[in-house]
Amino acid sequence: MASARHTLRTASTIAGLEWQLEWRQGHQLAAVGLFAIASVYVAFQASDHNTTAAGWTAMLWLVHLFSGFTAIGRLFDRERTEVRRYLQWTAEPLGLMLGKLFHAILTTTALTAVVLGAFVLFLGWPQGMDDPGKPGLLVLGAWMGGLSMTTTLVFVSAVASQIRAGGSALAAVLGLPLLLPQLILATRLTRGALADQPWTMLVEYPLFLGALGAGTSAIACILFPYIWRA
Amino acid sequence: MKGAWNWTWKAGSILLLGYVILRGFGTPLQPGLVTATPSQLGIGTDTIILAAAGQPFAAADDVPSDFHVVLRAGDQLLKTETVEITPHSVRLAVNTPATLPSRALDAFVFTPAAGTLFLGNACFVEEAAKGDIPKDFRAKAPEERAPKLGFSFPYQPNIIESIRNLLWHVPMWFAMFFIMGLGFVASLAQLRTDNINWDMRAEAAVKTGLVFGLLGLATGSLWARWTWGAWWVSDPQLNGALVTVLLYSGYLILRAAMGDDDRVGRLAAVYNVFAFIMLVVLLMVLPRYTESLHPGKDGNPGFNSYDLDNSLRAVFYPAVIGWGALCYWMYTLRLRMNRHAYHLLSR
Amino acid sequence: MTLVMKAMLLLNSLEGFFFGSGKAHVVTGVALIILAGLALSLWRMDRRLTQLEEASREDTL
Repeated sequence: MASARHTLRTASTIAGLEWQLEWRQGHQLAAVGLFAIASVYVAFQASDHNTTAAGWTAMLWLVHLFSGFTAIGRLFDRERTEVRRYLQWTAEPLGLMLGKLFHAILTTTALTAVVLGAFVLFLGWPQGMDDPGKPGLLVLGAWMGGLSMTTTLVFVSAVASQIRAGGSALAAVLGLPLLLPQLILATRLTRGALADQPWTMLVEYPLFLGALGAGTSAIACILFPYIWRA
Repeated sequence: MKGAWNWTWKAGSILLLGYVILRGFGTPLQPGLVTATPSQLGIGTDTIILAAAGQPFAAADDVPSDFHVVLRAGDQLLKTETVEITPHSVRLAVNTPATLPSRALDAFVFTPAAGTLFLGNACFVEEAAKGDIPKDFRAKAPEERAPKLGFSFPYQPNIIESIRNLLWHVPMWFAMFFIMGLGFVASLAQLRTDNINWDMRAEAAVKTGLVFGLLGLATGSLWARWTWGAWWVSDPQLNGALVTVLLYSGYLILRAAMGDDDRVGRLAAVYNVFAFIMLVVLLMVLPRYTESLHPGKDGNPGFNSYDLDNSLRAVFYPAVIGWGALCYWMYTLRLRMNRHAYHLLSR
Repeated sequence: MTLVMKAMLLLNSLEGFFFGSGKAHVVTGVALIILAGLALSLWRMDRRLTQLEEASREDTL
């Protein structure tokens, strides 16, 4: 039991550290927000108030996907080399992974709020819709989709950070195909929620997204110790 | 002794595949009805031509006494008169009454040699009023006969002759699963022991499996073009297959990016374990659930159980064993190459 | 799909297009040739690897 408590303590320390790092290097957080809002603005200019539900969904997830990449892709190599080496020797891998995951989940939640907010602010709802059919499900879908993308990205960036040169480019190459299933589920959910499809047809998607996210984080936690001190 | 067995199973896999090719393309298809023209009938007398595919169901120009065609509306049978038979079509005269229990007519062809052929919703009678078929128009249900077709493949609507692809497409995916499973076990062992031998096994398995995955995609795409009319459709199983192949390509990219870094074995093993778990989820778990929630999305639900009858089974099982053994052979070759290269480099 | 079917049946309504047109034999032949080529190349690879393995074993001894 003591070791479980130790792991949790490590996790909370790491999460706190990440949070501090995020505030100290405020430009990184700001960069992600800027990227997201600028992308939405480009989408707004391109759409000319005539977006169909399918187009709206496509743009939402493209923006969400690449903002997620920007935010999470460098999760494992943004500390300075010395700090990283120190962590490598002192921190327990599982606790470190849990801490990073927790931080990634917080970041994604904030990011989802920014992206969705910017979409509603600039683009409004799709053509012919004053409101989405199921706003609660839309928000839940954007959040769950973001989370299950994030957990996969955490694993991929952990793998890619082990490579000396070109790690972040590799994270993109490895990550995109892995994210396809989540994106397929998420886009269907969003489109369904906008088109007011019945609950019974849509309720499976958040469940699948949640299961995928939980599964990938579990695998990442199990496998991470093997690469961390390799 | 060991050398003899070594060549026996390799030659055996090739012989099995030869048998599969000969039997797979040489076996005739059981006859089945494809179309009815015209598909719209008026009230009164009309002629219909039912066209069939597969092996001939009757000799030409000879209407045997126990050859019957009836149309079914709802649960009642409408009689017809057979005018002419060719090996792949039958022309009939039908007198349609003004009242029918259903506007859609199913066609049944009772043949002495080929058993009963069926075409659902063959014709429609738009003008018919709802009601029973008058007595004079009704047919008695003819006797069902067991078909005497010999060794032949079953007829499936929409799939027709392309059923032979079952012997290529499905065993290729089976072989891919098998060899990727082997790679998964090797990667687990690699993580446990940190022995380069296991890493070489995993790499050989992924490379071989990827070849079979690509072949599976290609044969599947061909099949989709024929049965669904498009090279690619958005279906959970297809999405899963594509993502799986992309994932394993990522494995090779990861290895290439690592170069001769000495941590490559461990990192690749971690990635491979993850990839195989995703393969199981994407190809075996996820499609099953989404399909059960959207039934009949792609026209041939019967194929989920492969509708294997005995003739198809007699070729399908050898195909599975043959492709599996060929795949394993290719894997051992790749593995021996890896070992030899390692041996040369470490000298 | 059914359009293709119909066209093929019209062209070859008496025989059934796969067997009657003789395409079945062409397909079988091509597949057998490919299989034979594959078997030959795999066999040669196998033999060459065996030779290499034997050579390197003698080297180390």
